[in-house]
Amino acid sequence: MSRSSSAVSAAPSGAQRRLGASPAPRRQLRRRKELFWAVVFLAPALVAIGSLRIAPTISAVVSSLYSGFPGGVRPPVFSGFDNYLDLWGNEAFRETVLRTVVFNVIINPLQVAIALLVAVLMTRRIAAPGLWRTLVFIPAVVPIVGSSIVWSIALRPDGPVNAIITALGGRPQPFLTSPDQALASIMLIASWIGIGYWMIFLISGLRAIPSEYYEAAKLDRAGPIRTFFQITIPLLKRPLLFVLVADTVANFVLFVPIQMLTNGGPQNSTTMQMFNAYRTTYTYSSKNLGAAEVVILTIIMLVFVALQFRLLRDDDRAAKGTS
Amino acid sequence: MTAVRRRTRSERRSILLTALAVVVAALFILPALWLLSGSLRPSNEIFGTLSPVTWRTLVPSEVSLGNYLALLSGPFGRSILISFAVCFLTVAIGLVVSALAAYALSVLRFRGRGAVFAFVVISFMVPFEAIAIPLSQLFSGWGLTNTLLGLVLPGIGNGLAIFNLRQHFLSIPTSYREAATVDGAAEPRVLWSVYLPLGGAALANSALLIFLGQWSAYLWPLLVVSDSSLQVAPVALARTFGEYTFDFGQNFAGAIVLSVVPALMMFVLQRFFGGLEIASGEK
Repeated sequence: MSRSSSAVSAAPSGAQRRLGASPAPRRQLRRRKELFWAVVFLAPALVAIGSLRIAPTISAVVSSLYSGFPGGVRPPVFSGFDNYLDLWGNEAFRETVLRTVVFNVIINPLQVAIALLVAVLMTRRIAAPGLWRTLVFIPAVVPIVGSSIVWSIALRPDGPVNAIITALGGRPQPFLTSPDQALASIMLIASWIGIGYWMIFLISGLRAIPSEYYEAAKLDRAGPIRTFFQITIPLLKRPLLFVLVADTVANFVLFVPIQMLTNGGPQNSTTMQMFNAYRTTYTYSSKNLGAAEVVILTIIMLVFVALQFRLLRDDDRAAKGTS
Repeated sequence: MTAVRRRTRSERRSILLTALAVVVAALFILPALWLLSGSLRPSNEIFGTLSPVTWRTLVPSEVSLGNYLALLSGPFGRSILISFAVCFLTVAIGLVVSALAAYALSVLRFRGRGAVFAFVVISFMVPFEAIAIPLSQLFSGWGLTNTLLGLVLPGIGNGLAIFNLRQHFLSIPTSYREAATVDGAAEPRVLWSVYLPLGGAALANSALLIFLGQWSAYLWPLLVVSDSSLQVAPVALARTFGEYTFDFGQNFAGAIVLSVVPALMMFVLQRFFGGLEIASGEK
C-alpha cells in the first residue's frame, strides 16, 4: 500500500529532476511537512492518553506506596509496600480476591459456552432466525442499571421467578437475600445481558467459516457433535478468544448490579475487587489502600487475559503441528 | 423414495430446532417484555400480579403513560437532558480527536507510525473502570469535579473509533490525496474535504461507539459528580430506585427510556449509512 503510493509520489519528483530542480531537499521538505502534521494531528489523542490513561495509572501505583490518614488532613507518608502487606494479611481482602477469581473462572467460560451454543442454533436451518436472534440480543440493549432493577424485582422472595418455581412444584428461593445464592444471582443478571451480546460476535464468526468444511464433514459422515468439535470450534478460535478476553475484562470490573442490589452483601458474599476498591476509597475514604486494591485488581485481570491468550494460542500451534 | 424420507427427516429436524430457538428467545425476551408492560401500568398492579404468574403478569389491564409523565417531570427528566448533552459533546469532540489521529496513522508517513498506532489502540483498550477511581482523584485536583467537561473528557478517546476510521481511511485511494496536494491543499484541507466526506459509515460507526460508551456510563458519573442537578440519567435512575423502591412503575419506565434511546440511535444510523459493524471486533 505505502509502496505503491511512494511510487506515485516519486513520479513528479523524477520529472522535476529532468527539469533541473534539486529533488533531495524537496523530498526532505515534504517528509518534514508530513511529520509536522502527524505531530499536530496526533497531539489531541496523545494528550488524552497521557492525561486520562497514563497519569491515573502512575498515580495509582505511586499512591499505593504511601500511607494516608483517614480524613486527609495530614499528608500521606511514603511507606513502600506496607499497603500491599496489610492487604495480604487481611483475611477479608484475601477472600475478596478469591471470590473475584472464582466468579470469573465460572462466569466467563459459562457465558461464552452458552453464547456459542445459542449462536450455533441461530445459524442452523430454522424458521425466522433473524427474529429469534434479535429477541436474544435485546437484553444487551437495556442498560445495566435497567436490567439490575428488573431482576432485583423479579428475584424478590415474592417475585415472579419464585412464583414460577412454586407453580412448577419447587420451594421459593431467597436469591439476592441469601449469602449462598446472591453471587449466583449476580451471575444470572450479568449473563442475561452478556449472552446475547457475545452471541452476535460469534454468529459473525460462524458465518465466516467457508461452507466447504461442512460439506467435507458431511461426506465423511461426521455427526453434528463431531463436526462441532472438529470443525466449528477450531475454525472459530479467533472470535472465541476475542469474546472470552472481552468478557473477562468486563466481568472483572463488574460494578453496577453489586452496588445497586447487594452493596457487597449479604455477609460480603458479593463483595468483589472492583466494588471493594470503590468502597475502600469512597465509603471508608482510605485512598492509598484503595489505590493498592486497584493495582492488584489490574494485575490479576492482566494475568487472566495473558493466560487466555496463551491457552488458545498454544492450542492453535499444537493443532497445526499435528495436522 | 429415500430422497423423500431424507427431506422429511431434515424438515423434522428444522422444526425441532426452530422450537428450541423459540424457547431460548422466550427466556431472554420475557423479562424485557415484563419490564415494558410494567412501565405502562400503575405500580400497584405490578405488585398485584407478581405472584402467582398468570397471563396478567405480562399484560396490563389498561395501558397508560402515567409512569413516563411522572418520571420525566421529576429530576430524571433533567438528567436525561444532561445525558444527551454529555453524549453529544463527547461524540463531537471524540470524532475530531479520532479522525485527526486516524488520518495521521493511515495517510501520513513518518517513522514509528506502526508503533504509535499500536500504542494508541492498546492504551485505550485497558478497561476504563480499572483506572476510573484514581482518575477521579486527579480530576478533583484539576477542578473538574461536578462539571460537564468532567463527564465528557474520559469518553473522547476511543481506541476502537480510531481503529475503525483508520481502516476506512486506508481503503481510500491515495491518488485522491495526491490530486488534492497537487492543487495546493494542505493536510487539514485534505482531511476535511477529501477523507471526511468519504467517511460516511465509518464515521457513523465511530460516533455510535462513542455514544454508547457514554450513554450507559455509571461508575464514572458516580465518582465525578456529587451535585444531583448535574447527574446523568443512569445514576439518577439508580438513585430513584434506591429511594422509592416501591414505585416500580417509574423505575421500569426509566429503564425503558434508557434502552430505547440507544436502540433508536442504532436504527437511525443503520438506516442512513447501512452496514454498521458493531460486531466487527474480529476484522
